[in-house]
Amino acid sequence: MADASHGRDVDELSGTETTGHEWDGIKELNTPLPSWWVWVFYATVAWSVVYWILMPSWPLISDYTKGIRGHSQRALVAEQVAELQAFRAERGAGLIDAALEEIRDTPELLTFAMANGQAAFGDNCAACHGTGAAGFVGYPNLNDDAWLWGGTLEDIHQTILFGIRSAHDETRFGDMPGFGRDGVLDREQIRDVTAYVLSLSGLEGPTGANLEEGAVIYADNCAACHGDNGEGVHALGAPNLADAIWLFGSSIEQVTESIANGRAGVMPAFVDRLDPITAKSLAVYVHSLGGGQ
Amino acid sequence: MSIMKRHTILEKNSLLLTVSILVVVSIGGLVEIVPLFYLKSTIEKVEGMRPYTPLELAGREIYVREGCYVCHSQMIRPMRDEIDRYGHYSLAAESMYDRPFQWGSKRSGPDLARVGGKYSDQWHMEHLINPQAVVPASIMPGYPHIAERDLEVNVVRETLRTHQFLGVPYSQEKIDNALADLRAQANPDSEGVDALLERYPKAVVSDFDGDTSRLTEMDALIAYLQMLGTLVDFSIYDNKANLR
Amino acid sequence: MPDGTVPAEAYIDDQPLYETPKKVYPAAVHGPFRRFKWFVMAVTLGIYYFLPFVRWDRGPNAPDQAVLVDFEGRRFYFFAIELWPQEIYYITGLLVLASVVLFLANALAGRVWCGYTCPQTVWTDLFLSVERLIEGDRRERIKLDNGPWTPKKVAQKATKHFAWLMIAWWTGGAWVLYFADAPTLVRDLALFEAPWTAYMWIGILTGTTYLLAGFAREQVCIYMCPWPRIQAALTDEHALNVTYRVDRGEPRGSLKKSAGQAAKGLKTGDCIDCYQCVHVCPTGVDIREGSQLGCIQCGLCIDACNTIMDKIGKPHGLIAYDTDVNVGRRAEGKPEVFNFIRPRTLIYTGVLALVGSIMLYVLVTRDFVDVTAQHDRNPLYVELANGDVRNGYRIHLMNKRAVPRRFLLTMEGIEGAELEVVGNDLEVFGNPVIEVGPDSTRDVRLLVFAPRDQIPSKSTPIRFRITEAETGESATTRDFFKAP
Repeated sequence: MADASHGRDVDELSGTETTGHEWDGIKELNTPLPSWWVWVFYATVAWSVVYWILMPSWPLISDYTKGIRGHSQRALVAEQVAELQAFRAERGAGLIDAALEEIRDTPELLTFAMANGQAAFGDNCAACHGTGAAGFVGYPNLNDDAWLWGGTLEDIHQTILFGIRSAHDETRFGDMPGFGRDGVLDREQIRDVTAYVLSLSGLEGPTGANLEEGAVIYADNCAACHGDNGEGVHALGAPNLADAIWLFGSSIEQVTESIANGRAGVMPAFVDRLDPITAKSLAVYVHSLGGGQ
Repeated sequence: MSIMKRHTILEKNSLLLTVSILVVVSIGGLVEIVPLFYLKSTIEKVEGMRPYTPLELAGREIYVREGCYVCHSQMIRPMRDEIDRYGHYSLAAESMYDRPFQWGSKRSGPDLARVGGKYSDQWHMEHLINPQAVVPASIMPGYPHIAERDLEVNVVRETLRTHQFLGVPYSQEKIDNALADLRAQANPDSEGVDALLERYPKAVVSDFDGDTSRLTEMDALIAYLQMLGTLVDFSIYDNKANLR
Repeated sequence: MPDGTVPAEAYIDDQPLYETPKKVYPAAVHGPFRRFKWFVMAVTLGIYYFLPFVRWDRGPNAPDQAVLVDFEGRRFYFFAIELWPQEIYYITGLLVLASVVLFLANALAGRVWCGYTCPQTVWTDLFLSVERLIEGDRRERIKLDNGPWTPKKVAQKATKHFAWLMIAWWTGGAWVLYFADAPTLVRDLALFEAPWTAYMWIGILTGTTYLLAGFAREQVCIYMCPWPRIQAALTDEHALNVTYRVDRGEPRGSLKKSAGQAAKGLKTGDCIDCYQCVHVCPTGVDIREGSQLGCIQCGLCIDACNTIMDKIGKPHGLIAYDTDVNVGRRAEGKPEVFNFIRPRTLIYTGVLALVGSIMLYVLVTRDFVDVTAQHDRNPLYVELANGDVRNGYRIHLMNKRAVPRRFLLTMEGIEGAELEVVGNDLEVFGNPVIEVGPDSTRDVRLLVFAPRDQIPSKSTPIRFRITEAETGESATTRDFFKAP
């Protein structure tokens, strides 16, 4: 049913105009969209121009267009992170005057101290003590319950601030002499006392050692610092020799080495590097790891 | 015939239409990709990036082989909450030696861009063998076979050479010592450790799977995981100079 | 190419690319369907505009607004129900319910949603009635639009658009009240102290309401909404749809023409071709062409036609809710049947009942307490000086009630294990008691000490349980105890 004068073909059944395309007797109806639909499309194109002006968009020869809003995702996120840090610092302000026990027992302060302490631990302590504070040979595990210099909140705080054998005047200091190096004990005496020390925690000593001799040598040379039964003395940083924890290892070679050449691990003083809030947070965090007394 | 109707010319000539589509689509691609090759502002300067050690590279091959990238991205986006969770946002320079990159856009598991040093070797070992044994709520499948399989060490030189060909600056010295470096990194007591650290600063030397007698794929994979995101020293990275 | 047609190229070029705009001027109509629509409009708009002001007492620790989406506090309040973000699946369930209800309604009575309750329909109806009030009915409006711009026309148009903008503005304003304490926000908005997002959303919704209900109207239903397309595929021959009874109406003709035909002894239909059904239609369709995409089945043409039937003394129902089956049966001279109980409706009802009961069950039995645990990853365990082993966990407790509560934390799986919560001194028989604030969560660090000889394996499955002593409410979570 073509209306040749107008160049139109109208489908009889639906009364809708066709496009004139026909395949095997099936005609394509022409049901055009309203024109506002295409205007919406043009509007999005126009918006892209607005966007080019507002936001960073076009690459140039050596730079790119920055847009008049000066938008920068990295600047924005730096601002947001700074805001977050300021917000947290505000929450942490309560730590300045609070005693360490008070921080531990007040949930809001504790939450802040734990988060702040964990972050500071990763930055300052993890290099030696490990990210999980499990330590390595020569670097104490801070999770366990053995403390060379005491594991109360105050003890830990003190150690963090002034270090051990550090350059600071108020540092903790203890001296484990090298009994072999200094000529105090001879090779056989060292063997005997090694066997005795290992026997304190039920470990097997070197073959052929004389335990009774070892006990006498221990009483004369070691008991002053490590105690009569090897229980250790916090004030001197002398470790407990009777427990299952060995900072420098429990093999015969390692214990012999400790006695013959002495040990002098160093922990730096952090008093000048950490602000008071962070130092307190660290003390509470390390204490909370589980070994705190 | 109005200008709008000239479209019929294109519609009726399929070859012309194909060529026109190619031209139009490639404009979009060229404008987005080409400037990245020459714009100075798209390349940040960072300290500390080095090519992967042979062991890390071997671990990376296993990471790719096992399809870890299907669930784990390695790109921390510059968004506050992501930075709070994962650490500093990833920099383009941090993937400069990645062939292929592992950025990803889908996270069924957490982002791994800075997982290095976060957990212990033992945790990684147990977690890879049976994730639910350490994280009950995890949906990650276990990969126990990599703890059993010996690492294929004989191809490591060729792997390095391939990466050199692709543009990673492996020196001849590094390629020559690849096998020794690979063995040294998995054994803290070995003699080659100093030479390894000389060639690859900050490399983590450890007995990754807790068994020095064997060099397994687990050693390599954990070595790779433990270095992820640890190379750039952010204490000297200038955030302000690299704003964009 | 069949004979008689001209080559396609000849006319494809001068066909219009876009449909000729055709403004719809719906006329006023009276009758039961119109009254029902007024009623539905009053109820739905009443709910929308005033619900934010309804109060609901939840005690001192929670807001007292009956319906509130609290983004800042991450809570959704709906009368006695309070949902946390992780309970978003209730929304999923609600959407499933809504779609099944839509399908069921469609199987029973076609597009009742479109005709009566769709916001696009309701607001368009509201805007139309305002337009009619200010500019008059169909005839006057057409005259006004075609006439010159007289001061009266300017005044009428200005008044209309002002009224529309006011309604749109109120609509946008009511929307934001669902997201903050309504009375406070109204006061802040008036004093220009409200957050800029509130003004922005009011602005956006004022704009969309004004555009969609004032101008886009039927275009939304015909070109933008997917439901008419889906609905056409879901309907069947037993569903009630607004239908023109061809058998009774045709052949149509004016009263005069019909009289002439009847005089010649020819058949005449009841349709007098008065076009009232077309004039009152809000989407401008001709129902006599049959079921179509543009018809939202609001029933207004039924009212219009019945009014005309009254005037010419013919029975009602030339246009009526009817089924395809009955159209066929009447043509064959069979009686009408209405078959509402069909496999389709039964399945929809079944799904509806099933999903509804699952949701109700989950809602009624939902926990107001929850606990999760996260094992330390570095180190996995710690060996103590006396040989015992210690594991560390982060325990996350959730208290979903608006009062502070105390939970007893216990562990099952290892005999003789001791629990210690860092910074928490409360305990009962050695088990920690943890207080969690009203409607909030708390993270604590838990240390578990186990005697070496009681640890069965390198990885022992354990279970943490938190219990509130007074109510006995409890929650558990699984984890592991690691040992060398």
